[in-house]
Amino acid sequence: MFQEFTESWYNFEECTKCTVCTAYCPVMQVNPLYPGPKVAGPDGERLRLRDPHFFDESLKYCLGCKRCEVYCPSEVKVASLIQSARLKYDHTPPKLRDRILASTDFMGKLARPAAPVVNAVTALPLARTAMDVTLKIDRHRTFPEYSFLSFERWLGHRRKEQATFPEQVAYYHGCYVNYNYPQLGKDLVKVLNTLGVGVQLLEKEKCCGIALISNRLKKQAEENARHNVEQLSKAAEKGLKVLATSSTCTLTIREEYPNLLGIDNAAIQDSLLMATRYIYEKLEQGAKLPFRTDFHKRVAYHTPCHMQRLGWGVFSQKLLQLIPGVEFIALDQTCCGIAGTYGFKKENYATSQAVGEPLFEQIRIVNPEVVACDCETCKWQIEMSTGYKVENPISILAQSLSTE
Amino acid sequence: MRYDAVIIGGGLSGLTAGISLQKAGKNTAIVSTGQSALYFFSGCFESLQEPSPEIRSLFSEAGIRLHYQPGVRLMPMGTFKESALALEDVSLFPTPRFGKKVLIINFMAYHDFFSSFLAEGLEKQGMECRIRFLNLGDLVQPELSPNQMRAVQIARKMDQVWEKVVQEVRVLLKDEDTVVLPQVFGLEDGSIPERIRQGIPARVVFAGTLPPSVPGIRTQMLLKKRYEVLGGTYLMGDRVTGAHVFEDVVQNVVTKHLDRHYLEADHFILASGSFFSKGLISNPFKIYEPLFELDMDYDTDRNAWYNPTFANHQPYLHFGVKTDASLRPCRGGVPVKNLYVIGSILGETHPELGSGAGLAIRSALQVTRQITHGSHVPGVHGELV
Amino acid sequence: MKQNEFDVIIIGGGITGAGTQRDCAMRGLRTLLVDRSDIATGATGRNHGLLHSGARYAVNDPESAAECIRENMILRRVAAHCIDESDGLFVTLPEDDLDYQKTFVQACRDAGIRADIIDPDLARRLEPSVNPDIIGAVRVPDCSVDPFRLCAANMLDAKLHGGQVRLQTEVTGILREGDTVKGIRTHNRNTGEDRDFYAPVVVNAGGVWGQELARMAGVKVGMFPAKGSLLIFAHRVNNMVINRCRKPSNADILVPGDTVCIVGTTSSRIPIEECRNVAVTPDEVTLLITEGMKLAPRLASTRILRAYAGVRPLVSADDDSSGRNISRGIVLLDHETRDGVKGLITITGGKLTSYRLMAEMATDLVCRKLGIDKACETATTPLPGSEEGSYEEVAKKIWENPTTAQKVAASRMGSRVSRIRSADRRDEALICECEQVSMGEINAAIDRLEASTLTDLRRRTRVGMGTCQGEFCACRAAGLLAKAHGCIEKERADIDYFLQERWKGNFPIGWGDTLREAEYTQWVYKHVLGI
Repeated sequence: MFQEFTESWYNFEECTKCTVCTAYCPVMQVNPLYPGPKVAGPDGERLRLRDPHFFDESLKYCLGCKRCEVYCPSEVKVASLIQSARLKYDHTPPKLRDRILASTDFMGKLARPAAPVVNAVTALPLARTAMDVTLKIDRHRTFPEYSFLSFERWLGHRRKEQATFPEQVAYYHGCYVNYNYPQLGKDLVKVLNTLGVGVQLLEKEKCCGIALISNRLKKQAEENARHNVEQLSKAAEKGLKVLATSSTCTLTIREEYPNLLGIDNAAIQDSLLMATRYIYEKLEQGAKLPFRTDFHKRVAYHTPCHMQRLGWGVFSQKLLQLIPGVEFIALDQTCCGIAGTYGFKKENYATSQAVGEPLFEQIRIVNPEVVACDCETCKWQIEMSTGYKVENPISILAQSLSTE
Repeated sequence: MRYDAVIIGGGLSGLTAGISLQKAGKNTAIVSTGQSALYFFSGCFESLQEPSPEIRSLFSEAGIRLHYQPGVRLMPMGTFKESALALEDVSLFPTPRFGKKVLIINFMAYHDFFSSFLAEGLEKQGMECRIRFLNLGDLVQPELSPNQMRAVQIARKMDQVWEKVVQEVRVLLKDEDTVVLPQVFGLEDGSIPERIRQGIPARVVFAGTLPPSVPGIRTQMLLKKRYEVLGGTYLMGDRVTGAHVFEDVVQNVVTKHLDRHYLEADHFILASGSFFSKGLISNPFKIYEPLFELDMDYDTDRNAWYNPTFANHQPYLHFGVKTDASLRPCRGGVPVKNLYVIGSILGETHPELGSGAGLAIRSALQVTRQITHGSHVPGVHGELV
Repeated sequence: MKQNEFDVIIIGGGITGAGTQRDCAMRGLRTLLVDRSDIATGATGRNHGLLHSGARYAVNDPESAAECIRENMILRRVAAHCIDESDGLFVTLPEDDLDYQKTFVQACRDAGIRADIIDPDLARRLEPSVNPDIIGAVRVPDCSVDPFRLCAANMLDAKLHGGQVRLQTEVTGILREGDTVKGIRTHNRNTGEDRDFYAPVVVNAGGVWGQELARMAGVKVGMFPAKGSLLIFAHRVNNMVINRCRKPSNADILVPGDTVCIVGTTSSRIPIEECRNVAVTPDEVTLLITEGMKLAPRLASTRILRAYAGVRPLVSADDDSSGRNISRGIVLLDHETRDGVKGLITITGGKLTSYRLMAEMATDLVCRKLGIDKACETATTPLPGSEEGSYEEVAKKIWENPTTAQKVAASRMGSRVSRIRSADRRDEALICECEQVSMGEINAAIDRLEASTLTDLRRRTRVGMGTCQGEFCACRAAGLLAKAHGCIEKERADIDYFLQERWKGNFPIGWGDTLREAEYTQWVYKHVLGI
């Protein structure tokens, strides 16, 4: 038999050139230098196969929001195709700035003990100008603050208490919760504990590596990936689900490890879940949460692009809708423009803000009390650009619970 | 997650079914593998005649304005096609000769709108044509690059500056009775085409462009929004990969992203489209429906799939899933009790339902009636555990 | 001298005719080339696009083999922008006789072709797509060549040397006075105009149709038309030419060409009247895929873009009915000495690789007849586009930081890409996204390369040759053509013809993604655009 089916990496040959992706690419709309997902992805791949020199550095303008993949009727993994071409064909060494931005866990470790100082310094106009000029990190950006007490240490102090719960899960907290915003981790622990579930740390987690991948630090990304897969596998062997509160970390581990780094993660595909999915499924199976009766919040939910790509936005939405007192508004599915480290780069600032503008505008019109969203970089971007407070659905859920 | 009905496919037929089921108080989910054929929807509902009150309200409640006038519409290459029911953007005329003097407006460096073909086509009908080009750079900053000159990118800009276009056209307009504009208006706001019509003292005709279709994308967006407002769950970018069928009853479907989290329902509607959307799959040896392996109505001899002349009707476009009068399919000759097939995956197996948009809407409404009234589906609920 | 008088008239815009015109023009002759349709429409454009090292012929036809390797080396220099120096492998499969390899390598060396036996492991590393089961491999200097580009460059250079080219011009008669050919009678298929042209020498380079031209002149040339079918896969599976190391047979060559790869061919004798409309049969498709899979197993699951067939213009020389064993040797007929008809020569046989030599031989004869003593320079003078280094260097010279589209254009146009550098960014608009053809390149082909239809543009620029097979680009390009020639009516017919031509190549392999694409194309043209 022959030609029963066709195969190509990232399905690039299944592209029918229908151009759907170009209509949904937020960058193509605002950046004239970007050739668009179709040309950079499946069209370009044929050319690069002919000659690697046909690679074009304009591919770096891809945000990695993966909206092209969500809307593609042919399931072409357009964004992965573009990212893989960057990894494969762009041989220019990544800039110092990119290395700094990509090293989220290293920076966290470095900054955390001196958090008050670092936070104060990065907030100074002079420091921002210096970073703008020397590192080409855009001066408009507010840096996420670093927390003095890391989440790992916080939970470390509670290890014994957590072990007493009849059910156990592990938590892949990611760099952000650990160094910048431990409160989200604490909120998750509160919710899970209320459900009778104790939370453990992995033995030692590393940054998921998304920033390393998008800044082409492939070797380091592979190292992190191998480490994390090993760690998550250990948890899976113990029968533990591993929960995450960041849609980007989750997507990276589930999809990009095998797709872009060639690292097999079959063993952990079933055990890594977004916390909202885990909790929703528990409630669906009959678990009950004690909700406050006086809770009221007008919540506008923004589906982060990577949540959309995971296909799990529905769990966060339904979970929020289950909270008595939540007035739920679904925002249109558009990109906020930050895309991790992308928006921090001076050359991308204008694109980044232009991409996000329709979302910001909608938030201003809806005027919610809080924007809910499962992604930390979306949070920075929306808070910086609109002034509205952004919280993870888990935090909102935690606030809605009546516990002692 | 458990629903009253799960719809596989989020195009025109899937959305129509979803909306009307939600309206009937059913709780449904739609799984859509990316964007559908609405993306290049011409704006004309082929094979539909005067819309029933049901169809009218379904669309008007979604904010989609239809108009009905049997006649012809102007095609982008300057030809005419018989049409009766269309989006309000699309002008319908009793005869091809709709005016005397026509001003055709195009944008400089826009290659996806065929003003010279339009002019020649209209001149053939005895109309006098003048083509004028607007410079987008004068209207929007920053200017679109040559490769951004595609319908959607232009339309997003036009949503902001359409009034400037109106002004420019008013300046250019001499004694023409008709102005033809490219269909790049009203991507987000469907009222813009009508407001343009009001702003120009001549008949305004919007002619299509190469895909993407701006009215098509808007239609999809509005239908999806309406569906979600009615409480439907639209899973965009996911794909149904399999189903559990027990004793000829579909128990649940499995999706790529929700994996072990099966979607359970009383009823399942297959609206997965034809070849383009992979509702049907072909290889050198057969054509098949990949999800349920439903019985097909097609010619098994590959040589009979094609007509060697491109312009002739292509037999493969007829092929579809075989169903009974209530649009229920069979597997190995045995009917599946709670599965229905709608839209273009039917091919032309039910000529009475029409083709294209007409087929999509008619088949969707027929099936939703059956589900809500329980007609043609005796005992399904009883057999489900 | 009158406008319709020339030193030499060449009939046939294939590579032989174009090469002959260039050579004649470079030697100072006033030349006219006519073709009933376009350049490279016959056998020139309907083959693998393989620039033979000669290895394939080494065992059976050492003379052709030696000719090939000489020409191969020349063309790498003078036609660099048309050639991809890919190298080739001759692989032995378990079912093949490994002993043949020795005979083969010896024959190659005797013909002057470098043939290195390499370890199958090395072969698999060099060309990862090759069948992993190979038991032997020989590396040879095969290349791929774009025949359309090569033909267009020859025509362009002839024009730059004062030559005239008349396409869509059918020869309806050979003008004879007594035993002397004086010129040709033509019919312009575009304008309907009938016109005579005169020259003391007429060169019949009509390929398989040379038989009919000869008949018009009252002489007999017996052609042996052999149909060969090929399949184009949608992307490059291989980067080296892959051949079977055995006696030449069906579907045993896989050639990477530009963005695609091509497997072929079959061989079957057909009557001459069928030559204009050859179609690929389902059996041929099956044969090509199943044999092709043996060269590169990935072909079994790689999207196929189209099927096409060409006719080899072999001169009947022996009784072998398969047509496989006859020499691809060059046939130059001086009808004065052969048939007593003065002023007419026929140049035929040969192959794409040896076109330059054929042109040289024909031009030498033309010059002898005209009493001109001027040496051939085509072996040393680069074709327009091939004067400067690699396309990367060329692109960098023009654009500081060239985009993909600019680099791709440079790879097609060579140094001529400087012509599409424009101050107007609008010229950079991509008309064909699959193959990255810009408006500038299309307009350059219309202005300089005599393109007047979409199919002409396709041959010169690859517009519509990509994955979508003209789904979007056909009407965009039609808009530009209409603007250039000012006739919409003609352009409508042109679009119809173009779509039909594309479909002709699509439906024989109409399944999977190709059928999805075809369905989309049907919708776009019939329901959206209204054609």
